[in-house]
Amino acid sequence: MVRALRKSEGFLYVLPALAFVGFFVLWPLAQLIYLSLTDTSLLGGGKFIGFENYIKAFEDKSFWRALWFTLKYTVFITPILMGLGFALALLTAPNRPLQQITRGIVFLPVVIGIGSSSLLWFWLFDQQVGLFNKFLVDIGLLAEPAVWFTKADMALVAVTISITWKVIGFGMLLFVAGIQSINGEIGEAALIDGGNYWQRVWYIILPLSLRIILLTTLISVIGSMLAFDQFYIMTGGNPRGQTFTSVYWIYQNSFISFKLGYGAALSIILTLIILVFSSIQVFLSNRSPST
Amino acid sequence: MRMPSLWQAALAVAMSAVAVVPGTAFAETLSIWARASSSNAAQHMIDLWNSSHDDKIELTTIPDNQMVTKLATSVQAGDVPDLISFDLIFMPDFMKAGFLTDLTATLSADPNQAKVAKAFRDLATYDGKLYGTGFTPDVSILLYNKGLFKQAGLDPDKPPKTIGELQQYATQIKEKVPGAYGYYFSGSCGGCNIFTQAPMMWGSGATLLPTSGDAPAMEGPGVKEVLTMLKDMWKAGVIPESAEADTGANFQATFETGTIGMQGSGGFAIASLKANHPEIDFGIAPLPGINEGQASSFVGGDVIAIPTGAKHADLATQFIQWQLTDEAQLEGLAKNLILPSRSDLADNKYFQEEPRYITTAQAVGIGQTPYAFHFNDMVNADQSPWLTMIQTAVFDGDVDGAIQAARDAMHAIAAE
Repeated sequence: MVRALRKSEGFLYVLPALAFVGFFVLWPLAQLIYLSLTDTSLLGGGKFIGFENYIKAFEDKSFWRALWFTLKYTVFITPILMGLGFALALLTAPNRPLQQITRGIVFLPVVIGIGSSSLLWFWLFDQQVGLFNKFLVDIGLLAEPAVWFTKADMALVAVTISITWKVIGFGMLLFVAGIQSINGEIGEAALIDGGNYWQRVWYIILPLSLRIILLTTLISVIGSMLAFDQFYIMTGGNPRGQTFTSVYWIYQNSFISFKLGYGAALSIILTLIILVFSSIQVFLSNRSPST
Repeated sequence: MRMPSLWQAALAVAMSAVAVVPGTAFAETLSIWARASSSNAAQHMIDLWNSSHDDKIELTTIPDNQMVTKLATSVQAGDVPDLISFDLIFMPDFMKAGFLTDLTATLSADPNQAKVAKAFRDLATYDGKLYGTGFTPDVSILLYNKGLFKQAGLDPDKPPKTIGELQQYATQIKEKVPGAYGYYFSGSCGGCNIFTQAPMMWGSGATLLPTSGDAPAMEGPGVKEVLTMLKDMWKAGVIPESAEADTGANFQATFETGTIGMQGSGGFAIASLKANHPEIDFGIAPLPGINEGQASSFVGGDVIAIPTGAKHADLATQFIQWQLTDEAQLEGLAKNLILPSRSDLADNKYFQEEPRYITTAQAVGIGQTPYAFHFNDMVNADQSPWLTMIQTAVFDGDVDGAIQAARDAMHAIAAE
């Protein structure tokens, strides 16, 4: 009896966590999977239709266009967030007053809701009353105020600027934590050996921060793949549906067209795609050296 | 056993007495959900009710785009408000889904119901039964800047009466007034354009949204003419470039810059412009059709209904009947410069000082509202056939192709 209890002791310890995950993650996920196999409408009703929604999804050009745009957005914004975040972390990692204040200022937009910040930037980019446009005209970069949201590429740049401003502080903070956790003696040894600043960054800080870089990239990629609010508020999917993200398209189908079953199928497909990305990054993360 | 104290016994006797005295009842509190854009008007009506009734009503404001989801989930969960005020355009879908209580017996017997704008009565009818009535209406009108009219050499008291005149005046404003544009519309907003461009089409005789897979869609005079007019104005630079990307966020703000000659808008613009931009001298006119006398409007705004499963359905029905009375329509709405839902009260004492309200209120009587299931899919969605048609016709210049594509897509949706 005692032996049996001891055997299952570990399981008992993780039982609360398992129950939590089962109730709040696995059960809703199972419901979502079932919903994706029905033609349920937001207005009620719905019957089991097998894999029809998935077949429809594979033929839905708008969904694949939205997915492609989401990937494009992710590939575009991730290096910016990582590069700029790491550069800011290098500048602000030392715990001196100026660096600490700078960290606080850069981090400030992170605590603003993404809806509020998107609305703020939407008006800053406005052709007629937008201050960002006026700033660009005043410094001579633009001859006249631009209409940012009539071209998909311009809209992508506008959203990227707003999101970079909004979340760059979060990445920076994680990188700072990573840099500060590196054993100081390694840097000192490099200094004694005559290594200059960039050599220390390249050969010591970067490799030893690889785990945190991969973790931050993982968080950033997932966030970008699930992008919705910023496009909903700033572009509305325009021009001509060219800036629909996957989640936005799922929202359109589920809550505007009332097709909950189809929306659930699209959500499952997106979940699987994100799962693949995450697995690759976790695999790479496990192979990287620890600090 | 412990004996009750004297005060406990007295309380019990008092409570029993209240329970048996005829006519004695505890006041109830009803809940109403109203969408954000009409909650101000709803609040005026509720305040008036609360000031004269023992039973009180509490308003909860729901963001416009969450109303459908909130109502659907609340009905399915069996936890609904007693009353609900929402965009009348969703009536057909909600009635069909069984979300609303049948009010036929009450409303049919109410003489005020017959005076409610026809658009509301039509939209609230399904299978011969009535499920709601008018509450806080709004209508589309043509808004024009009298100052720019004067600067362009146009008579500020003579707004366009045909779409031909509209194009001519808009072009003249663009040519004669530096920095000004003749016309504006939100080019990426399906809802804005069904509100402001569609009346010019159906006023000319067009049928726009199909009710079934083989019903007429985008047929008749007006569709091609209005799209061609917009396309020509866009090509000539009469409409600002920013119109193409406007999802409706600048629907009102652009006119407020004082650089727009004309724009389709709603009655709500009057109060807003008077309060926030007294420097703009503006006029109101009906939206014109191809020929003179074909003016029309989109009757929008909110209906009021009782969700299925409401706990205080009887009291809610009383409120619905009360809000149709002269007192409620005039003191709750007109007094606060809000349009009454009854057409017979369009010309009332409160609108006398501001004739622009009378023009707007009269538009309620001549206006229409399309009766269509899947309205969101056909019109409001960001890639709806209606919006895609406008964008393809106006910005790409393919009017005929755009109309045919919209027709096909709408038939496919209506057949679902």
